[in-house]
Amino acid sequence: MARSLAVIPHLVGTYIRTRTEYPTAMILGWVSQFVSYAAMYTAIALILARFGVLGGWLWPEIALLLSFHLLGYSLGAAFSFTQFREMEELVRKGTMDAILVKPISPWTYLVFSGLNIGYAGHVVLAIGLMAWALTQVQIGWSVPIALYLLATLAGACMIVCAVMTMIGATALVWVRSRHLYSIFFGFWELARYPLNIFPLPLQVLMLTIAPLGFMAYVPVAVALGKPVPLLGDWAGPASLLAGPIAVLIAMAHWRYCLRNYQGAGG
Amino acid sequence: MKTLAYSAFTANAFQTRLAYRNQVWAGAFGDLVFIFARIAIWISVFGAAATSSVDGVTLPEMITYALLAGPILYWDYSRLLSDVDTVVRTGDIAVYLLKPLHYPGFLLASHFGNFIFEFLAMTVPVALIVGLTFGLVPPAGLFHGLAFLAYWALSFMMLFTLATLLGLAAFWLMTAHSLDWFFGSIMTLLSGGLVPLWFFPGWLAAIAGHLPFAWVSYYPAAVYLGKLAPLQTLIYFGVGLLWLAALMGTLAWLWGRARHRLVVQGG
Repeated sequence: MARSLAVIPHLVGTYIRTRTEYPTAMILGWVSQFVSYAAMYTAIALILARFGVLGGWLWPEIALLLSFHLLGYSLGAAFSFTQFREMEELVRKGTMDAILVKPISPWTYLVFSGLNIGYAGHVVLAIGLMAWALTQVQIGWSVPIALYLLATLAGACMIVCAVMTMIGATALVWVRSRHLYSIFFGFWELARYPLNIFPLPLQVLMLTIAPLGFMAYVPVAVALGKPVPLLGDWAGPASLLAGPIAVLIAMAHWRYCLRNYQGAGG
Repeated sequence: MKTLAYSAFTANAFQTRLAYRNQVWAGAFGDLVFIFARIAIWISVFGAAATSSVDGVTLPEMITYALLAGPILYWDYSRLLSDVDTVVRTGDIAVYLLKPLHYPGFLLASHFGNFIFEFLAMTVPVALIVGLTFGLVPPAGLFHGLAFLAYWALSFMMLFTLATLLGLAAFWLMTAHSLDWFFGSIMTLLSGGLVPLWFFPGWLAAIAGHLPFAWVSYYPAAVYLGKLAPLQTLIYFGVGLLWLAALMGTLAWLWGRARHRLVVQGG
């Protein structure tokens, strides 16, 4: 455990050095992703400008929802997305075997040897939009509310990281799992909007099997004092538990897949 | 003979996609969830507006617009950009230059195969589900239905040409990854794929309506719904053709420059 912790800064440092070898490409990547998300949010703002309200939410409230969603996603994805998207390649080429015999936990090695600093553009946009939105919305600020928002933001990171881990781990058994990201990003798209605009089956799905409703909508709705469908008064406690529960499920899945890993032949 | 060779690239791309069945159902599911999100937004805002039509557009028309402007017209150009990016980065582009083929022509043939595959395997099932769930409106009339088909072909060529132009920039930048994001942001706002131009503020609609991106999603879908009069339909089709000719001319010129600019790394 202590040895793993000592190795982590070196893994992260090495990867960051490889990224900063191409500073122009790195900064261009940050800027392009910043612009891309800003364009999407502008499009949503255009709809709100024309219609005034979406599912009972005004533009500043939607802006807070979008920024919370983006910040939670980008922090969680920095620890997981590109790393676990490559899992099927590692399995197919047999590189995973070499990772399994390293004197460090495979998950720790995978996550920290590819810690993605490419989400800087996302984070800057999310924090900027959130700072603006917080000046426009009515939140009864108190220490518990501030701690709640921080805890649920951490929970959002956990949910993203857990789901990405599970998709990547599936490649250990199926060899191919990258196509499952299409499904993830489908639900991720839904998680950008107020849950109450969707039909009941989708709402149920987003709060159970695909728990991305807890990524942004539930915490922000609780903070704004808006009613949360299906959960009601349980929305606050449920959103605090969602992240840790997702992590526990991901851990069990990761271990199951490792136990059942047989390589891709060859 | 040459045309046959290029049609073989189309068939080959189609068959290659058949090999990955899991990607098909996962992609179709992803598309379905995306379109459901778009439709849910329109149902919600139209419901809140408490009126049967907004700016002369009804909710069923808006649902049809979302399907046309999204999955049907706005095909996945990222695969094309990724292909160009990969062959430039790996140096495989040299292999294509040695072959007796025109690389942009090869890209057109193979990505038309990808387009046909995605249309049949993903878009049609998604359209059927959306149609059965929410209902879709038919074309405004025979003229508009036929005009839509012509606009659809124009839309495909417009998006292909724009994406290939971006892809060729990889010859100078050695990557197309960031360009993909930049282009995506332009398309999100200006193609009408997400928000139709009739909901834009007047000044922004005037700008967006004269840029080539609007011919990818907005004009074809608007023509289908009969939002352009027959004379307007013909005029805007002519303007779209002029844009396409200008972009294809630029593509031919850039390809000529790119071939002589090639640097293959490693060796």
